[in-house]
Amino acid sequence: MRAVCLWSKEWINKVRDESRVKASMPLRQVLFLSVVFCLFGAPLYSQDYPRRIISLGPAVTEGLYLLGAEERMIANTVYCQTPQGREEKEKIGTVIRVSLERIVYLKSDLILATSLTDRAQLAALKDLKLNVVEIPTARNFQEVCLNFLELGRLIGKDDQAIKIIQQAKDEVDFIRGQTKGLAKPRVMVQIGAKPLFVATREYAVNDFVELSGGINITADLKRGIYSREEALKQNPDYIIITTMGLAGAAEKESWQRYTALDAVKNNRIYIIDSEKLCAPTPLSFVSTLREMVKTLHPDAE
Amino acid sequence: MSQKTFALLAWILVLGAILIVVVLVSLSLGSVNIPLGRIVEVIFQRKGSVEHSIIFDLRMSRILLGFAVGSSLGLSGVILQGMFRNPLVEPYTLGISGGAALGVCLNIVLGVSKIGGGLSLPLSGFLGALGVILMVYFLSARKTFRIQGLLLTGVMISFIASSLIMLIMAVSRVEELQGIIFWIMGSLEESNWFLIITMLLVSLAGLLVAYLFCFDLNALALGEEEARHLGINVERTKRMLFILASLLTGCSVSVAGIIGFVGLAIPYFIRLLTGIDYRFLLIGSFLAGGAFLILCDTLARTVISPLELPVGVITGIIGGSVFVYFLHTGPQQLFRKT
Repeated sequence: MRAVCLWSKEWINKVRDESRVKASMPLRQVLFLSVVFCLFGAPLYSQDYPRRIISLGPAVTEGLYLLGAEERMIANTVYCQTPQGREEKEKIGTVIRVSLERIVYLKSDLILATSLTDRAQLAALKDLKLNVVEIPTARNFQEVCLNFLELGRLIGKDDQAIKIIQQAKDEVDFIRGQTKGLAKPRVMVQIGAKPLFVATREYAVNDFVELSGGINITADLKRGIYSREEALKQNPDYIIITTMGLAGAAEKESWQRYTALDAVKNNRIYIIDSEKLCAPTPLSFVSTLREMVKTLHPDAE
Repeated sequence: MSQKTFALLAWILVLGAILIVVVLVSLSLGSVNIPLGRIVEVIFQRKGSVEHSIIFDLRMSRILLGFAVGSSLGLSGVILQGMFRNPLVEPYTLGISGGAALGVCLNIVLGVSKIGGGLSLPLSGFLGALGVILMVYFLSARKTFRIQGLLLTGVMISFIASSLIMLIMAVSRVEELQGIIFWIMGSLEESNWFLIITMLLVSLAGLLVAYLFCFDLNALALGEEEARHLGINVERTKRMLFILASLLTGCSVSVAGIIGFVGLAIPYFIRLLTGIDYRFLLIGSFLAGGAFLILCDTLARTVISPLELPVGVITGIIGGSVFVYFLHTGPQQLFRKT
């Protein structure tokens, strides 16, 4: 329900209207409320929101940096990137397994887990009466925004999160508008080799293809396992290969043997860094989307 | 008391002392080091402190489960090797682990664990193991309990189970795949105290029941014919021992996943110390299996702390290397036939 609300213009407008109402309050009233807040509300406010956050996933960590909450993040995982010039945080494990002992020792008041966190460890953290919230893996732009909003809500930075989401949404709308009149290329996205594995609607990359005006030919499959024969039969205009470690280049070469494919004839096989497709925040989603548009519509302005 | 019996008792005491030392080291080491002297202090501290929580909520549960699983696997291994009179037999040879893994895979893929909660995974693992035990038992024991048939049936069922697991993995989603792989890797991280206590009771009961058969096992070590001449009901003994070892393995696998090597090599080493006398071999394997798994788990937690290795990696690397070393340089009586 909330997802529908977020996507609709009404929801964003409602949030805007509310902030406008606040802005139009008489100055005296605003000053009075500010004094009351400083005297009584501020201490409560600062206590209410978590001060010792542990992030168990790169997407969450990037979100926390974007929302300016890095001082409150005390630890993260070895896969989490630290922006240049910032102080490295303590590492407490990988995305899938973490040191429970270390988490208990650090006296965290908010642990942000992901869909990849080991289920047994998640249960153990809850048994230890720790405040654990799971931020699921986003499968499309809408979910990226919802996750980001939830993150903002949890750390008391809703307004900032809404502002960033709005900015990203405006840009996505702009891109959609631009690609609307263009031809819709048929795209196959390969995310695994041996066996050949393609992206269905379940994967975030599907949204990149569709929002940039392409058709994901394997979107409606139930499972991602695919046969090369079927790929030849479907004859996509573009083949996009995610890096998958070092296998990307080798896969591109193996596709080039099938000269009957339009994608091969027109030299339209591209390799995309799989990390970019993880799209941790609404803003990084937009930047990857721009790249995808450039790939699928090289001639468009 | 003969000198030999005295020496054997001394070995058991040494193994007991090693177990206690390993437990204390394991309580002390981790990604947060707590000095041994401080542990006593923490134990009497009020609940709520960080160190108290680390020792009681995290380390103690792992140590108890490590002991229960390690001792059960050691015991199961020594019983099966004695029964088959084959030092290459281990608890997983009979396909029990494959059955348990298949049960867990089906549970994860069908989404039962999401509805059934934390206990559903070990339960489905146990049901899978039980299914295989019953299948192997009835296929090989229609008339007489044929040892060769039992072994072959077990190995074949193991292959079938692993193929079915691969089939399930090929069609499962990423999150499900992760759950399956983690379970197969094995872990002693269990927060459910009901499971830990149950496993501990199962291992102790296993030792008690196995001990009732120690003279039968000693007789079986001479060969089935000789055992029969000594008045042992060989058929009944084999059936009972098979069921006992299978249940011990089934319970261990369903709680902690597949942790290799313990059930294969611990009986070897204990045989070196005590010789083929099951009165001591059973207790020795029980204690050593427990101590070995706790030690390996401590290493798994600390080697690249705060990252943690799967415990099966450590049991395999350390146990396997020591085993190969002894095989080529150690005393030859270690590998004499049972």
